[in-house]
Amino acid sequence: MKIPHQTDPNGTRPTLTRRQMLRLLASGAATAAGGALLAACGGTAPATPPGSAPAQPASRPLTPTFYQWIVDLHPAIPQVNSSFEGLNFQIAPVQGFGIERFVAEAKNKESTWDVYVGMTPFVEMSQLIKADVIEPWDDYIPKDVLDDILPPIREECTVNGKLYSWPFLLDVIGMAWNSNLTDKAGITTVPTTWDEYLANAKQVVDSGAAPYGATYDARGWRSLAPFTHSMSTNVYTPEGLFDFTSEPAVEALILMKKIKDLANPDILNEGTTDGGVNNTPDEGAFAAQQVAYYTKYFNAPLRFAQTGGFSDKLRMAGLPRFANSQGGTVFWTTGACLFKYGQNKEKAVEYMRALTYNQQIWKDSIAGSPTAHPGQLPPYKSIYAEWEANKPDWMPSFVALVREQFERARAITNHPFGLTQFVIGKPYWEEYLTGKESDPRAALQKAKDAVAAEIAKAG
Amino acid sequence: MATVASRVASAARTWRSTYRLSDYANFLFLVPATVFFVGWQIYPIIRVFVLSFTDYKYLERNPPNFVGLQNYINALNDPLFHVGMLRAFAFTVAFVPLTILIPLVLAVLIDRVTTPWLSSFYRIVLLIPAVIPGPLVFVLWKWLFDFQIGPVNTILVEWLGLFTRQTAPQWLGGTPLSLPAVVIMEVWWGLGYHTMFFLAGLAAIPKDLSEQARIDGANEWQLFWRVTVPRLLPILSILVVLRFGTAMSVIDEYLIFGGFQRTSPTYTWTVYMYDLAFRIGDWLQGYAAAIGWLGAAVMMVFVVGMLYVFRSRD
Repeated sequence: MKIPHQTDPNGTRPTLTRRQMLRLLASGAATAAGGALLAACGGTAPATPPGSAPAQPASRPLTPTFYQWIVDLHPAIPQVNSSFEGLNFQIAPVQGFGIERFVAEAKNKESTWDVYVGMTPFVEMSQLIKADVIEPWDDYIPKDVLDDILPPIREECTVNGKLYSWPFLLDVIGMAWNSNLTDKAGITTVPTTWDEYLANAKQVVDSGAAPYGATYDARGWRSLAPFTHSMSTNVYTPEGLFDFTSEPAVEALILMKKIKDLANPDILNEGTTDGGVNNTPDEGAFAAQQVAYYTKYFNAPLRFAQTGGFSDKLRMAGLPRFANSQGGTVFWTTGACLFKYGQNKEKAVEYMRALTYNQQIWKDSIAGSPTAHPGQLPPYKSIYAEWEANKPDWMPSFVALVREQFERARAITNHPFGLTQFVIGKPYWEEYLTGKESDPRAALQKAKDAVAAEIAKAG
Repeated sequence: MATVASRVASAARTWRSTYRLSDYANFLFLVPATVFFVGWQIYPIIRVFVLSFTDYKYLERNPPNFVGLQNYINALNDPLFHVGMLRAFAFTVAFVPLTILIPLVLAVLIDRVTTPWLSSFYRIVLLIPAVIPGPLVFVLWKWLFDFQIGPVNTILVEWLGLFTRQTAPQWLGGTPLSLPAVVIMEVWWGLGYHTMFFLAGLAAIPKDLSEQARIDGANEWQLFWRVTVPRLLPILSILVVLRFGTAMSVIDEYLIFGGFQRTSPTYTWTVYMYDLAFRIGDWLQGYAAAIGWLGAAVMMVFVVGMLYVFRSRD
């Protein structure tokens, strides 16, 4: 806006009258207030027709953004980056799974980034789709890559027949133990059922080998869900929610209480980073060699054995099963989503292909690097086929174990409440674990009701 | 000499008349502050107020609908809002007196130190927490309170023998002790800063007042209550009002010490508001806005009450 001028009484210098000044301020304030009201009342952009954003010539280099932990755990990523000239590599503003920045930009039909590497389908994919932030990879991903994805993972990453997540890192929930402690306790067998697991854990405590026998991560998607899957994976409602009152879930909760009695006393407490999700008490107890047995995604015992300096004493096996059940567990992948209003989509495909097929990344992940040992596995059939044909000398035995576990695993169903249903329900099922509620079914019913109430609140 | 002086004076007059701003044009200099005030203060307040009367969901693509007072009615009937307010009050009741009284006593003690270097030393030591960046403070206290390896539990278990490793206090992770743990951390953090406030106030009290009171037979206790505290009342009122506001609206510390566990004593109305607005389902920001306004209204009532209590009686 051009500021109107008036010559001052001396005729030497332009000045502004009070009227002009007030007019200027009023117009500015009115613009701001009008903007506020418009934004507040009709804040959302008109519904965008489904499909891709109009193709635009790229005005910037490929700009991927990563969840920080991926970069911390996979030191070979810069090697991939170096082969993409001008790549604008960034760390995502997603502390504690927060996706608000992505959504805010999509509402303005823009995106600072082209691809986000760090999306876990059951955690945030449904929300990103619903908010029109991401678009499917189907129009861009080569058919040979699509067909190469392990079928259960492809299913996990697909909504309404469209692939929204380019899978990268596979995590499977399993069992690990510190053989320093089990040897001291005189244990020579590997538990394959929960009864054996509990007996071994008790032996650790009774023998004085360690203060605690076993531990788990109390967040439902890392304990209640996999323990439930170890009896049956058919525990989801038609709407895609976890069925808290199913018989396998009840059995899982009873099991959690039995383990808790042999575990570190702070087992149910929240973590101290990422809104309570990470840096959880089980990690500290295992790293400090206070506990022998541990159930979590395999990369946790690998990392915390490294922290505690007993990687050579770490042993791993599949998640135990309930007697007379087929056994199963939970898996999830962390992958990449394509921002609908991003750019460089073809380039993003090239980048993701280079990233997810990079042998150095998988070697570091599986065999460990000087800085990390995440133990996360690739999502492609061809990589496993190649390893089976020519087994690398660095290949540890746990890869076959994880693969075997994966065959029996199922992902948590995608749903806008996929993760939060476990956050909402946790205080209620924990009433049984703390003894406040004596009936596990009643505790789980309360959890189910709380989730239903929250969904009803959301309309 | 006189010629030079008159030349300078003449030049100054010319400069002033040439570059003198119109009185009205001075408003131009208010523009940056006004833009900032409107953009970062007024606009968000208006926006949140308007949102609170809609069913606005951040992830929903359809435009929001006007729902009148429904969000407010729902919030007033929401048990999580009630318990969240009560938890925030519990924290405030524990935090505000400690964060005022301990620095007050410390300030009075330091004010009596007559050795200059020792007085400066005390002040510097007390100010150390105030200059540590927030994230470092959180990391430090998370380590101090850690159940497995934290020095606090090590002292309680291994040095004092008050607990076993199994029965040691659980300070972090949304336990009943999480709120006291946040109180301890916050009081420590603000200790030096608040003490400096009181030291500044004490410096403004004329020394002859105390001397005269002593001559009149007042003991130290009477001196403190009858001379020192009344003179510090303006500072006291400012600190109480400021700390009340910040105590009621704490959120970062709660998320670090208790996460989003709804039964945690750290799950207050502010965490609930954030949870609704940025995490749960479709992100119910209209409802979260109503909760924000209700919380702010409750706080305003208390602030007005406190301003009345601490009003000037001169």
